[in-house]
Amino acid sequence: MSNFYVHFPVISVMGLFLAAFLVEIFGSKNKYVRYIISLIACLAAAAMTFYLIVPVFLNGEVISYWMGAWAPEGGYAFGIGYEIDGLGLFFGLLTALTFLMSVIFSWRYMSRDGHLGHYYTLFLMLAGSVLGLVFTGDVFNLFIMIEIMTFASVALTAFRHKKHPEALEGAFKYLVLGSIGSSMTLLGVALLYLTTHTLNMAQITALISSQGMQPTTLLAFGTMLAGLAVKSFVVPFHTPAADAYATAPASVSTLFSGMVNKAGIYGIIRLTWILFRAMDKEALMLLLSILGALTMFIGVTMALAQHDFKRLLAFHSISQIGYVLMAVGLGTNLGLYGGLFHAMNHTLFKGLLFLTAGAVYYATGTTNLDKLGGLAKRMPYTTVCFLAGAFAISGIPPFNGFASKWIIYQAAYEKALLSGNIVYLIITVVALLVSVMTLASFIKVTSAVFFGQTPASLERTGEVPFSMQLPMFIMSALCLAAGLFYNKTVGIFVNPAVNAATDPAKYVDTMMGDGYAFSHGIAPQPVTFTSVSIWDPVFWLILFVIVTCAVTLVAMSGARERGPISLPEKTADDKHATFFGGEKSLHSHVGGSDLFWGFKKDLKGYFRVMDDLHSGRTNDYALWVVLGTALITLFTFIFMS
Amino acid sequence: MILINYIVAICLIALGLYVMCAKRELIKIVIGMGIMDYGINLLIVSIGFHEDATAPIYTLSDIINGNLPLFVDPIPQALTLTSIVIGACVDAMALSLVIMLKRRYDTTDADEIRRLKG
Repeated sequence: MSNFYVHFPVISVMGLFLAAFLVEIFGSKNKYVRYIISLIACLAAAAMTFYLIVPVFLNGEVISYWMGAWAPEGGYAFGIGYEIDGLGLFFGLLTALTFLMSVIFSWRYMSRDGHLGHYYTLFLMLAGSVLGLVFTGDVFNLFIMIEIMTFASVALTAFRHKKHPEALEGAFKYLVLGSIGSSMTLLGVALLYLTTHTLNMAQITALISSQGMQPTTLLAFGTMLAGLAVKSFVVPFHTPAADAYATAPASVSTLFSGMVNKAGIYGIIRLTWILFRAMDKEALMLLLSILGALTMFIGVTMALAQHDFKRLLAFHSISQIGYVLMAVGLGTNLGLYGGLFHAMNHTLFKGLLFLTAGAVYYATGTTNLDKLGGLAKRMPYTTVCFLAGAFAISGIPPFNGFASKWIIYQAAYEKALLSGNIVYLIITVVALLVSVMTLASFIKVTSAVFFGQTPASLERTGEVPFSMQLPMFIMSALCLAAGLFYNKTVGIFVNPAVNAATDPAKYVDTMMGDGYAFSHGIAPQPVTFTSVSIWDPVFWLILFVIVTCAVTLVAMSGARERGPISLPEKTADDKHATFFGGEKSLHSHVGGSDLFWGFKKDLKGYFRVMDDLHSGRTNDYALWVVLGTALITLFTFIFMS
Repeated sequence: MILINYIVAICLIALGLYVMCAKRELIKIVIGMGIMDYGINLLIVSIGFHEDATAPIYTLSDIINGNLPLFVDPIPQALTLTSIVIGACVDAMALSLVIMLKRRYDTTDADEIRRLKG
């Protein structure tokens, strides 16, 4: 018992689970009792997680904890172990911050709902499961935590089903698709056990490193990758995310985008970078980057077509996860820096944006962009916080989104130069385009919700209470701070995580005993942190050329349609008609929520296809997941063996 | 014969996935989820199986002398038990959602439960 803090991870996870049941027992009647239990559990878990910064990030330790002191015997790990390295703690911190902000926000935001005892029970289960997921060192435990996470998420999605029956639909789709994902993960875990005869992550890392990739290992890798991709809502598995985020209460949407899909990303990084050490394979890099690029493009274009505040944010969440996956999948250290930094920033700004959406819902009772407007005067603080989040997600300096996106562009471009592969160049251009479209989409939201005319029904809207403003202020301040002091942030938080991902020798040794990693062919290879420069003029110049090319490409793409102007045929919607005059056009009003109708009109072929694909049928979505899983597994088999 | 276990397991998983993709009735989709779970459970329990092996009961002297009997791996069985419990919970939750969907949408046809789309 040398260090007291080795118990912190397990106490924080157990504390959250214990509090979940205490809330159910003691808190079903009294609102103060249940809230105080929840708040104390969340505060304690967050405080313990934040305390771990000192040993893990600053002193470079790896904390290991064997449940019931079942330490490895004779080189075989029998017990269930928790192990916290830089990567795990990095995502643990994001998780802790998210549920802490959300629980503060929930006090007033959820106060008008009934059955709040169940809400806090599920809330704490979700928080505990994600924290357990990132701290665990056992693949089966990882699966259990994924299942608890899915359960709690589904139940929380359906929480407001009395007011919004769509919530049930979103929850059901999430459950069906989520269970395919979990089953695929379990299949992978079982196959992994078949080849390595252990469930401990550290030992699996060592054994796979010494055994090499066998066909069974490859199959396990493919199914686990697909299963975790379902959990992080990567295209083509993104469909339940939009439904679930949009219909869940905003405090829960914050949890979803702040930690639930981060848990999936964490799993993917753990799987590809550490467990299988597969990030030296060109094929896998290509797969992950292309999946990421597809995710960010489809996410942002779908967001442009949305008319619901939260559904729009949900598609942006998907799109930003695409950035993270693309950057992580580049396989370079710079990409990993950018990806992890962006994951952190995404938690900050997307959590903030969902909180502002919740504040708007609390004040007005709707999130429909067509019914909102002119809230800036009535909700000034919410508006300021929303603008901070919108600037951050659109990548406007000096907010954090700019810093991380800049690193990602650099990484993608560097990768294109290094590998000479044209695909990475296209991905760089796509990344830039997506950023532009994100900005466009947020201009639309800003004008539709906070500026413009106020509908008569919203005349008496007021600002939300202080306990709801507080988490928004904290998140805005963090967004700005992470952008202003990006070098410090990257140095303190991201660097240990990158080191943990690229150099698992210490991870293995701490768990299995010194020398175990080396005897299985894992040599330590520490990464030295070189300050990531944002203002490198050469990159500026090269990027300027790329941006010019991208703009030209976009400008040219519409050119062939510019023939002689003919009078358009009669359409049902007059705002799509060419305005030559006449009285009718006066009444054809383009609202703030439809600012980019011209863009949509130009690309109506694309949007029609996308609309057909997002049909809302559970079967179609299940088919997408099955096809995606099959493709990923096939790809790993053909190109990675 | 252990090979037949693996074949049946994969067939069950494929069947479950097929049901989830092809059947419009929500109850059938839930059944599909169950079938897939059973397939995976069968696979896990087969992984630990050895022919002509005993239960994993041995003493310290067996380990020291190095004459451990050939025994069935107990860990996959523990995993299967956990997985069965989780599968039952998933089914229960899915069915309760179906009941509530039936009340609110007045149908259990996946084609008609699609207010969230696009």
